[in-house]
Amino acid sequence: MRKPWRRNAVWTMVILGLVVSGCSPGAAGGKEANSAAPAAAAATVSKTGYPIVEEPIKLKMFTRIAPVNGPFKDMPVFQDYGALSNIEVDFIETPTDGFQEKKNLLFASNELPDALFRSSLTPLETIRYGTAGQLIPLENLIDDYAPNFKKLLDEYPEIRSGITTPEGHIYALPAVVTLGAARTDKKWINQSWLEKLNLEEPQTTEELYNVLVAFRDQDPNGNGEADEIPMTARASAGSGQGIPVVNMMSGSFGLDQQLGYNINLIDNQVEIWMGSERNKELLVYLNKLYNEKLLDPEVFSHTEAEYLAKQASGKTGFFFDQTNNPFLDIADQYTGIAPPEGPHGDRLQSQGAPVARDFGAFAITSVNKYPEATLRWIDYFYSVEGSTLLRFGREGEHYELKDGIPYYKEEFLKSGNQAKITPYAGGGAPHLISDQVASYINPPQVQEAQEKLDPHMPKVRYAAPMFDEQTAQRVNILRNDIDKYYEEQSTKFIAGAQSFDKWDEFQATLKKMNIDELQQIYQDAYDKMEK
Amino acid sequence: MTRWRSNGQPGRTSRLIRRMARRYDLYLMLLLPMVWYLVFHYGPLYGLQIAFKNFNLARGIVGSDWAGFEHFLRFFNSYYFWRLLRNTLTINLLSLLVAFPIPILLALLINEIRNKAFSKWLQNITYIPHFISIVVVVGILTVMLSTKGPVNMLVQALGGSETRFLESAGWFKTVFIGSNIWQNMGWQSIIYIAALSGINLQLYEAAKMDGASRLRRIWHVSLPGITPIIVILLILDVGQFMNIGFEKILLLQNNLNLESSDVISTFVYTTGILKGEYSYTAAIGLFNSVINLVLLLIVNGFARRTSETSLW
Amino acid sequence: MVREETGMSKEVIADDRAVLPADERWFDILVYTIAIVIMLVVSYPLLFVVSASFSAPAKVLAGEVWLWPKGITLEAYSNVLHNDKIWRGYGNSILYTFVGTLINLGMTLLAAYPLSRPDLPLRKGLMLIVTLTMFFSGGLIPTYLLVKDLGMVDTMWALIIPGAISTYNLIVMRTYFQSSIPWELQEAAHIDGSSNWRLLLSIILPLSKPILAVMVLFYAVGHWNSFFNALIYIRREELYPLQLVLREILLISQSDAVDSSVGLEDKILLAESIKYVVIIVSSLPVLLMYPFVQRHFVKGVMIGSIKG
Repeated sequence: MRKPWRRNAVWTMVILGLVVSGCSPGAAGGKEANSAAPAAAAATVSKTGYPIVEEPIKLKMFTRIAPVNGPFKDMPVFQDYGALSNIEVDFIETPTDGFQEKKNLLFASNELPDALFRSSLTPLETIRYGTAGQLIPLENLIDDYAPNFKKLLDEYPEIRSGITTPEGHIYALPAVVTLGAARTDKKWINQSWLEKLNLEEPQTTEELYNVLVAFRDQDPNGNGEADEIPMTARASAGSGQGIPVVNMMSGSFGLDQQLGYNINLIDNQVEIWMGSERNKELLVYLNKLYNEKLLDPEVFSHTEAEYLAKQASGKTGFFFDQTNNPFLDIADQYTGIAPPEGPHGDRLQSQGAPVARDFGAFAITSVNKYPEATLRWIDYFYSVEGSTLLRFGREGEHYELKDGIPYYKEEFLKSGNQAKITPYAGGGAPHLISDQVASYINPPQVQEAQEKLDPHMPKVRYAAPMFDEQTAQRVNILRNDIDKYYEEQSTKFIAGAQSFDKWDEFQATLKKMNIDELQQIYQDAYDKMEK
Repeated sequence: MTRWRSNGQPGRTSRLIRRMARRYDLYLMLLLPMVWYLVFHYGPLYGLQIAFKNFNLARGIVGSDWAGFEHFLRFFNSYYFWRLLRNTLTINLLSLLVAFPIPILLALLINEIRNKAFSKWLQNITYIPHFISIVVVVGILTVMLSTKGPVNMLVQALGGSETRFLESAGWFKTVFIGSNIWQNMGWQSIIYIAALSGINLQLYEAAKMDGASRLRRIWHVSLPGITPIIVILLILDVGQFMNIGFEKILLLQNNLNLESSDVISTFVYTTGILKGEYSYTAAIGLFNSVINLVLLLIVNGFARRTSETSLW
Repeated sequence: MVREETGMSKEVIADDRAVLPADERWFDILVYTIAIVIMLVVSYPLLFVVSASFSAPAKVLAGEVWLWPKGITLEAYSNVLHNDKIWRGYGNSILYTFVGTLINLGMTLLAAYPLSRPDLPLRKGLMLIVTLTMFFSGGLIPTYLLVKDLGMVDTMWALIIPGAISTYNLIVMRTYFQSSIPWELQEAAHIDGSSNWRLLLSIILPLSKPILAVMVLFYAVGHWNSFFNALIYIRREELYPLQLVLREILLISQSDAVDSSVGLEDKILLAESIKYVVIIVSSLPVLLMYPFVQRHFVKGVMIGSIKG
């Protein structure tokens, strides 16, 4: 919908040298199109079977293209599925770099596509755009036009609670990960060092400490140099993102991570545990490891690439990662272990993502004339069949089935084109990741490591709750200060840059920052969810 | 104009118009640039109002609700406000004291080198680091300053103890400003070198005739010759006092040096931009700009009275 | 004319040497010593970048490389040089830099010269209008809407027109005009009856080579290194400037291991060494530019021109 008169008018003003002041800032035309969605189009959408529509239709979708991906129009999944569904999708591909800015400008200038695919919308964004009418609510369409997604909702009720706004709307669909192994970081320990030093897999935090001391002192790699790093972890990804080494060890001290935050759920009571005694014990323990150079001194500052290189070097004793990819060449030296039991008998794998792992992966806008068909189109990818097509491409050409499970063909892997043909590479694609479609990310070694964790996983892992816009704003303000303070101080406690004498002051400051109000907000959100 | 005339200042206005008319061709030159300024800078200025609104992308700038000074107060009341302000100001003040004079000294030094080939080499080499991307500069610093890196080896060889330069609040400013100097002194000296080459050679000759030593010639000829540009760049620098490029600090930042590396620009980036808080970001930006402008006006006024060189 | 003057300054130097007193010699020794120290300090990181670009990424990450290459490999180079997108980006960047700098120079000159004239009525007000833009801006969204309404999105003009003048450069240029070109010279020309346009073209420009050279350098480097406007305004990949292409390649190192594709870790490691190659490949044109700019930093231009 071009408006040439407006462009001419602006040019005229430029020529006249006038200030362009009132030039239609922001969104204007969003709502007109909303009501124009033809009801007649729905009638031709079949609720089951393919094609989805008798007459071919075209949809415009805004999407993110990762550096490793090839053009979407060349991906077998969209070619084959386009023919099957009779829906042709024209992707507006935006690189990862600058994606967020371009997405914002899309809404700000109201140049809406029909849908957003792999859009990483945040809860706050979906609520804002949904309330303003730029995104349409899907909850009523899901029953009829998204049978696969509906099945997942019924099977995992926590998905629904994680994507429904307080007003009861669903504006965006997540990527659903039923495969436990794709949601947790395993605890990898250097098996060959253990064997060499005649040690058992550590079962408690105390045993872990002893093992790490042995790794440090007894030259397990036998090169005569003390170049071993007994234990390491990722560095923090930024303020508000948590401290990975704390998250990885918190379960041993009875500290869970529910609702996407540092929260314990006990008898339906929300407890933010940042100022608790248990947390102090955890930090004291980590401080001991850090002081004695058992914990990598660079654990708070190294880059992701440096961390991966450390894994691959074979010089590390104990670290955390989701897969064994980074150290694939020396993978047999390592084995996954269960969380060590803490001083109070806690043994929890508290770190992990919820089933609805990637929020806001798909949304339909108000300019879409075929919302029902669009929803059915995306629903396919929430089935194993659709997900297989999305992740693996064509049988025979890209993958083969072994025991009913797809594996990439060797020749195809060798071609180096794997990431080019699937939109899952690079993350955030709306689809189902189950154990049937994860042969590559879930090799036997990772499965074994996961089996060690499974008994210690929380029964339900609640995703971050959806707040209404005002509450979300309040949470944002509270958490900006609290998270930053908590992370900075915890790091200082661990690194010994601050003594534990300051613990009372630390607790008092958290109180001053209204941590109790934050806890109440989460409690209310949880209560609403459970209703 | 006629209205003005009736206001009783006929003489002054018409004289101005006459003076302007005589130099109409200068205004003709200015026409295109001024139109450009109006369209591309003053046109979008209505966007400033989001600092006083709860900006909602979907409702547009004009359509969003007013919030008054809420975002400003939120910033002032933030637990970290004073720390951010303190760090921003001290880093900039230290930069002004330490990093600002160095390119000037480098330019004067280069100007004194008589071997022209050597002088060109020096210029070319000092110019290159400007083009090393920030990520790589930080990478180099990490290697240099790690516990097993060359700097620590040197420190220990001289009897010092192992120092964690990158994970200590005490060292942060030194590392940050030092590496800035190292990266940018050559680039920043270019403008002074250009200005030095504009100095009339006869002035040097005259000074030599008077028996002035080289140091005195630098002091009495070279330096005065580039003083206007120094003053202007100083004024412009002070006008950026609240701003610090956030990328490098962000890469060097970790929880252990945050005490002295937490500055307004990184705060805006992490709590405003990354979280899509347009209004909050705009409010902090506006606050910075106002302070910057006030500082600039003060320094400019001071410069006008003392050195004849000023922005207007 | 220029050559003649350099000749003259050489004479001055020769003359200098003949009567070199002892303290002057000490001064020279001091100057050269400092210069050599600076050169060494600055050369080190350059050497590091070159070494790292030839080294195995794992060695670089482990901090083993700090002077000479370790585990020499050309993989990063071949990866960069065999990438068609990079070459296309190169071409685009050269075009944008050339056209952009030309427009920058013209616009800045048109603004800087009149604003340098002490006899321009309302000069202070105009300077204020210009200076204020350094402090207040409407932000990304209004600017985007403007550029969109002008129909410049997805064209190279979006990268050039909105940044046609840098106020900082404008002020620097104006200051140079004010301080380095004698006002008497301009007044004299006025009395001769030349128009301001003639004055600008035949007297100011020839006398301003050093500052024009600096402006060309500042603007060209600015265009060459810029990516943000392209990020916002350019959608078609074939229009990407080099920096955008390179950012995309380097981004691989931030990919999420969770949704990794086959061999992602290798790519992350490779991106580490590509980082260094990228610096070398992408900054070569601007490095080669400097000697040409330098050529105009010649003393004595002023006298020569007055004489001529």
